[in-house]
Amino acid sequence: MKEDREQIGSVVIVGAGVGGMQAALDLADSGFMVHLVSRDSAVGGTMAMLDKTFPTGDCAMCMLAPRMVESSRHPNIRIHTLAEVTAISGVAGNYTLTVNRKARYVDPARCTGCAICEKKCPVKVPGEFDQGLARRKAIFTLFPQAVPHTRAIDPEHCLYLTKGRCRACEKACDAGAINFEDSPQQFSIKAGAVLLFPGLEPYDPTVLQELGYNRWKNVVTSLQFERILSASGPFGGEIKRPSDSRHPKKIAWIQCVGSRDPHNANPWCSSVCCMYATKQAVIAKEHDAEVVPTIFYSELRTFGKDFDRYAARAAEQYGVRYVRSMVSAVYEEAGTGDLFMRYVDKDGRMVDESFDLVVLSIGMQPRKDAREFAEIFDISVDAHGFPRTSRLSPVETSRPGIFVGGTYQGPKDIPETVVQGSAAAAAAMEILDRSRGREVKEVTLVPEKETGAEEPRVGVFVCHCGINIAGTVDVKKVAAKAAEQKGVVHAQTVIYACAPDGQERIKDLIREKGLNRVVVAACTPRTHEPLFQDTIREAGLNKHLFELADIREQCAWCHMGQNEIATEKAVDIVDMGIAKARLLKEIKPRSVPVTHAAMVIGGGIAGMTAALSLAEQGFRVHIVEKEARLGGLAAGLLQTLEGENIRDMVRRKNLQIDDHPAITVHVGTEVNKTEGFVGNFTSTLNDNSEISHGVVVVATGGNEYVPVEYGYGESDKVMTQRQLERMLTVKRLQPEDSFVMIQCVGSREEPHNYCYRICCQDAIKNAIAIKEKVPSAQVTILYRDIRTYGLREDYYTRARDLGVRFVRYEVDAKPQVTADGSRFRILAYDPVLEQEIILPADYLVLSTGLRPRPGNRKLGEIYKLTRNEDGYFLEAHVKLRPVEFASEGFFVAGLAHGPKTIDETMSQALAAAGRAGEVLSQKELAASGIIAKHDREKCMSCLACFRACPYGSPFIDEDGRVSHNEVKCTGCGICATLCPAKAFQINGFQDNQITAMIDSLTEGWVAGRHTAKTRTEQKDDRNCKCS
Amino acid sequence: MTETASAPDAVGEETVAAAEKKAGPSSWDARILAFACHFCAFAAADLAGIMRLSYSPNVRIIRLPCTGTLDHSYVLRAFERGVDGVFVAG
Repeated sequence: MKEDREQIGSVVIVGAGVGGMQAALDLADSGFMVHLVSRDSAVGGTMAMLDKTFPTGDCAMCMLAPRMVESSRHPNIRIHTLAEVTAISGVAGNYTLTVNRKARYVDPARCTGCAICEKKCPVKVPGEFDQGLARRKAIFTLFPQAVPHTRAIDPEHCLYLTKGRCRACEKACDAGAINFEDSPQQFSIKAGAVLLFPGLEPYDPTVLQELGYNRWKNVVTSLQFERILSASGPFGGEIKRPSDSRHPKKIAWIQCVGSRDPHNANPWCSSVCCMYATKQAVIAKEHDAEVVPTIFYSELRTFGKDFDRYAARAAEQYGVRYVRSMVSAVYEEAGTGDLFMRYVDKDGRMVDESFDLVVLSIGMQPRKDAREFAEIFDISVDAHGFPRTSRLSPVETSRPGIFVGGTYQGPKDIPETVVQGSAAAAAAMEILDRSRGREVKEVTLVPEKETGAEEPRVGVFVCHCGINIAGTVDVKKVAAKAAEQKGVVHAQTVIYACAPDGQERIKDLIREKGLNRVVVAACTPRTHEPLFQDTIREAGLNKHLFELADIREQCAWCHMGQNEIATEKAVDIVDMGIAKARLLKEIKPRSVPVTHAAMVIGGGIAGMTAALSLAEQGFRVHIVEKEARLGGLAAGLLQTLEGENIRDMVRRKNLQIDDHPAITVHVGTEVNKTEGFVGNFTSTLNDNSEISHGVVVVATGGNEYVPVEYGYGESDKVMTQRQLERMLTVKRLQPEDSFVMIQCVGSREEPHNYCYRICCQDAIKNAIAIKEKVPSAQVTILYRDIRTYGLREDYYTRARDLGVRFVRYEVDAKPQVTADGSRFRILAYDPVLEQEIILPADYLVLSTGLRPRPGNRKLGEIYKLTRNEDGYFLEAHVKLRPVEFASEGFFVAGLAHGPKTIDETMSQALAAAGRAGEVLSQKELAASGIIAKHDREKCMSCLACFRACPYGSPFIDEDGRVSHNEVKCTGCGICATLCPAKAFQINGFQDNQITAMIDSLTEGWVAGRHTAKTRTEQKDDRNCKCS
Repeated sequence: MTETASAPDAVGEETVAAAEKKAGPSSWDARILAFACHFCAFAAADLAGIMRLSYSPNVRIIRLPCTGTLDHSYVLRAFERGVDGVFVAG
């Protein structure tokens, strides 16, 4: 793979959902040029449509929007929207891709995102983003927060493009951004690797006519229900039903619509529906306490970290009713729009129940064009159209240099998609180790002026933004008022401050008038501050001598038609900005060199995978393993559910590690202590050897649970699934042998109330192996819920086809085992038959899960890493930062993080290696500008900051006093508010700056400088009227 | 408000009654200073604008990198200088 031909330092990523963006940001931050190709007119993918996410209830858009903005303004990322790859040639390391870009008809360089065009457009069509529940115009953005915010014209519905008349948008656009002459373009991109993250397609349930979708108005899909819940959705976040906008009280969810149904729909399990239905039920209840949610399901697959507890809480605290039953049909009651459902209740009776709204929990499937898509890239696909990957190399396709991930690789949820985003990025970095930094440009800037000793000379630029601001706010008046402020030497308006001519004007005036502070009154700093900061930096000013006053989003746009009041508010906002700007200081972030080496704690499959990836990326790696050899739990496994040889893979990785010059293995050792911070750690092992490293990867694995239940240990015929797997390779089975397997032994009950994910598949893997060897052998699996999520469902079906018997038991009526000579007699209560059954068995197999390693506690204490209540390490963010710790420079992978399968472990290990590689690829680590500055003179070392800082940046130095590590600091400011001596100040948000803003505001606003009536005057007016 | 008024606190009752007499609660126009986290609440305020949602103009927002930065002195300063309410969102 690493032949010495020209290696291209660019990567093409197809698909700009959360997975694609994660990969893009990882690669871009590691010195690769990224081309992010999206079919849609904006980035964001499916996640952007979601209201909240499970199990934390975080707002999806709040998490996603910062990533979308970051992707769009990253110097190393080019976003190609409305674009598709149509051809690829070349080899890994050096591919050429042909990209077709559709016409957008709106010029991104001119469009300000004001949406006036949208208002004027006379055409309304059902909006895709709101799943047809609301209508959009023919010129539109997918959603309000769309990135890029440039509108796009839909040529199929635009009146001018279809019928040759209208052009209303063109007339309305002051910026002249509408371009009807725009035409499709074709161009080629050279790339060393290609990452495919095209995402999923929601299942269309219209075909299942008995459920009434597209027939009864109040039957909606779960994606539609997400939009109904969303504050930016069709009903503004109010739960209404489509037929009559009434607030539904009784809401039913029907699970597995389009999933786990090989006859009429898709055979696989979509993995996320049980959890999202639970979440939707909980959120619905939070919106409206009178909602009565019911979920109809066949198997509750809440298998993720903390998911079982979430479902338990939903039932107990939110009153979510779970009914284990298949719904055969949904009927509408004539006239009312209510829906009748017929199902069999737990006592076996046929029940008709009425609901106000029915939500179909639709699954995910590959896009319709998935096969053609795979053909373009010449990668093999499986029987369902998913790209063919191996459980042991989950992001690699059949073609070297082309990697996949996310829901295209198989059904999965957001964190697993994010993990695969980072994993695919790591895989690309492995093959492009020599071309890092080759395609990205370093910008040389004019030297920065020293302005520290100067008096403030503030320049104020008030943006018209066409009529976006100027239509509501009297911008001339705002500029005139600004000119009166102390320290302001220049104030003017500009038509478009962000346009190239606007920026040139700002730069000219900085030079001409000797400005040393700049205030731009325009749009939000969240998107435009970096742009203007670069502008003033180009003119030689430190970029932190800038303040952006938001008078568009937070003033003009929310007070339209109230021009006088909006103008006053804008004056206040600008004055506050000026008051702060006068006190702004230059910020020169400190940077520290990086030790380009990693320490991986744990030499199981997670540690080995992470270590090899990091070494291939070009970094030194130390593996610290407690045992005498590498391999961990995987060394005891034989094969995956799919039949891939784990033992060979472990052996191969062992050899690769032995041979790799960059990897040092420290077996039989443990870490005694680690000092330093991200980029610069020194660790001492218990054999007294010392390691210098820049990052830590925690891959300490887990322990197999040794059961105490069901007579384990009393007979060698009571065994765990792992023991059975080994026995099957050596022992000859008899035709009449009978096996009974019991699931969830030692799990899904307090104090271990969580699912281990692996036990159902282990049982099915072994059951299939038995039936394939000796078809006459009896295998019965006693289970609570079979959780063969994703594409593993195929094997559940296969096991049933082979005659494996599945008998459910309930947690309060567990099977009773008694010895019967050399055999066993198992008494179980079958809730379906509603009677006890007796199963004789020669072998009793216990499906046991895992336990966290007891050593995690000590490690957690050494590094200040938190663990969840079950003892697994807690990631920085359960959705978007699944492999990092909150502390910089620490990463986690594998069972140390939580129960997972081998492919999930390998994805996560690669992801950790990718994220760690991103740190190690930096020449030096610069602290962010907005951090806490510590004044050692003022500090009394009271340790308030030391105790409170979530990131561990204050530390006790060699003098025994508190010092501050700026590289670790995130600028949250908790130290600054706690410090009694005010020894901490946040750059750009110092106490004196914020106080100056408050003072400026209260002077004008409260003390009544304004022409509009102050409160006293209003009162006087009233008095006048009264009298 | 109701609680204060019904409490056996003569001063509280008097203040409330006086305020109601002066302005009347329906026409009273509180001036509110909001401290908003850059990443969430400030973004939400932006979204309100993007969606053209209208709200009372009597709110001014000061952006903080995180509401962790909110010093108690800011709140006291704001009240001392006459704002009627402080809204912290993050």
